[in-house]
Amino acid sequence: MATKINQWLDERTAWHKVWEVIFLRKIPKVNWFYTLGSASLFVALNQAITGILLTIYYVPTPDHAYDSVQYITTQVPLGWLIRGLHHWGASALIILVVLHMLRVIIFGAYKYPREVTWFTGVFLLLVVIGFGFTGYLLPWDQKAFWATTVGTRIAGTPPLIGDYLLRIIRGGPEITAVTLVRFFGTHVWVLPSLLLILIGIHLYLIIRNGISAKPKRGK
Amino acid sequence: MGNKKELSRRNFMQAAIWGIGGLIGVGFGVPAVAYVVGPSLKSQQAQTWMRLGPTSKVELGTPTLFTFTIQTQTGWIVNSEEISVYVLSKDGRDYIAMSNICTHLGCHVRWITDQNLFFCPCHNGEFDVNGNVIAGPPPRPLNRYEVKVENDQLYVLVGG
Repeated sequence: MATKINQWLDERTAWHKVWEVIFLRKIPKVNWFYTLGSASLFVALNQAITGILLTIYYVPTPDHAYDSVQYITTQVPLGWLIRGLHHWGASALIILVVLHMLRVIIFGAYKYPREVTWFTGVFLLLVVIGFGFTGYLLPWDQKAFWATTVGTRIAGTPPLIGDYLLRIIRGGPEITAVTLVRFFGTHVWVLPSLLLILIGIHLYLIIRNGISAKPKRGK
Repeated sequence: MGNKKELSRRNFMQAAIWGIGGLIGVGFGVPAVAYVVGPSLKSQQAQTWMRLGPTSKVELGTPTLFTFTIQTQTGWIVNSEEISVYVLSKDGRDYIAMSNICTHLGCHVRWITDQNLFFCPCHNGEFDVNGNVIAGPPPRPLNRYEVKVENDQLYVLVGG
């Protein structure tokens, strides 16, 4: 029965071919450092799932943000787990993408023909850092508020454009409800869209070009 | 999969990947459902006995107004609500407690001593001393609370 459904579906969608190309492709003999990209992808998926779940209760306004986070952590069944996974996943993701980048540098995997994969990777790193920066404000506690005060003030340091930059990021001269909701919007709409597009290109290129073999001495 | 003799390295890895993947899937799926559904299944505010005050405050034969506040919590938002209750006793032993909310559209009724009735200013609803409708649009008598007396203190049952 199952094979019949499979055949029926495969005839119309060629999904097995897609499956083969993605999961059954040949790879050179590599080591465990080559799993850092997949690990990053896995944690990113964790962030997406837990992040979506958090938005079910989180409210991005100054009078509700902190209380709704406390509600998630203390009242909602397993809310502490969902928030914990998102919180620790955020740190794990930063660490993993940096290690992934180091591996690509050390093994020379950014070279021809994989330059574009590298470029998208650089933008992915920026997006992940953007996630970290915007997400840090959302619990709206003292740490969040002051970290964002400092962080946005750093953005205000360049000459000439600094003040504009700071005002654009904060949505005004101070950190207010406007700041909170624009950080939220950026965190759940802008950055995820960018991430999805960039990961799509990144993965396509990895499959298209194949992963690099370990470099050999004298080559 | 199948029996052990056929278990090649490739098959073992495949089974392990599906197995671990399945566990991770369950690990996300089950908490996600509990997390989403949890608050929906939470029972309503528990019933509690609210203390109104001493029985000596109740004038025999005249509805006496008591007021107290209860706190209700919806999600992370705590509301305090002021509730008023008219307590009537004819003999000092049996007490009835009536809500001051008109059963028509929810305005507050007032005891008018001169006319011996509860009067609702919104649509001229009138209730007698026991809360039964005398005139006007209210569809049923004033709501009542369960009352108990402990150590000469009056309590009414609220919530639920």
